[in-house]
Amino acid sequence: MSDTKELVKREESLPERSREIPAVAPLVDIYENDDENLLHVDMPGVDKKDLTVNIDNGRLALGGVRKLETSGATQWEEFGDVEFQRTFSVPQTIDAEKIDAELKDGVLRLHLPKSEAAKPRQIEIKAA
Amino acid sequence: MWRRWSDLDRMFQAMDMLQDRMNWFVPEYGRRRAIPAWDSAQSGFKANLYDAGDYLEMKAEVPGIAKDDLSVKVQGNYLEISGVRKSDAPEGYTAHRVERGTAAFTRSFTLPSDIDTSKAEAKMANGLITLTLPKSEAAKPKQITINEGS
Repeated sequence: MSDTKELVKREESLPERSREIPAVAPLVDIYENDDENLLHVDMPGVDKKDLTVNIDNGRLALGGVRKLETSGATQWEEFGDVEFQRTFSVPQTIDAEKIDAELKDGVLRLHLPKSEAAKPRQIEIKAA
Repeated sequence: MWRRWSDLDRMFQAMDMLQDRMNWFVPEYGRRRAIPAWDSAQSGFKANLYDAGDYLEMKAEVPGIAKDDLSVKVQGNYLEISGVRKSDAPEGYTAHRVERGTAAFTRSFTLPSDIDTSKAEAKMANGLITLTLPKSEAAKPKQITINEGS
């Protein structure tokens, strides 16, 4: 019996399982017009330097880490340190060079402009 | 009887081992997940309270809310935070997905001690509001000097 206990303990002490911060999907609004796609993402408490936006091969990955700086003993805690993570599939027609991101009041606004070729074009009808 | 007890013990050990194996493959399994604050079912916001001895500190999640749309009231040991989360939907866009709600909200708290309201402060950063609420003199912890008995 004691042999089995030791076996279990050994597996528990392996260092790979040390990640503590829970990962959470942030809430997102997605808008589109003729020129661009626009994302509004709630990331309360995330500092600009802890925010990452990666676009690669049609995958847009948003990540942000929140570290709370607190003082004193906790009376109650409804939110804590968190890692916001969310991935989207974006069409290849997004002009990755011109992506623009701004962070204000804990909301990330991400402008994803469409490339010229993908924009709808008005075709003029000529009178014969 | 003893034999049955050890059977039971063995069963629990097998269950523990199974859980450990599961944790190995799915590290998040069984861990409490944080719920998004602006869930449609929940009309409030999330708040933390800390006690630093001389003052209380409250942090609350208020993403996308302008300073002018929030109001904080303190009286004695009563604290009320209210505000409006306005829609920031841009003009001329089609909405594909709207998860972030818009609502007016009020939440009141009974604090563990009375507050010196004249010295209370609030500041906003990155969508979090931090309130520093100094305790009133009577509620502050005091160091008591121990007199040597004669």
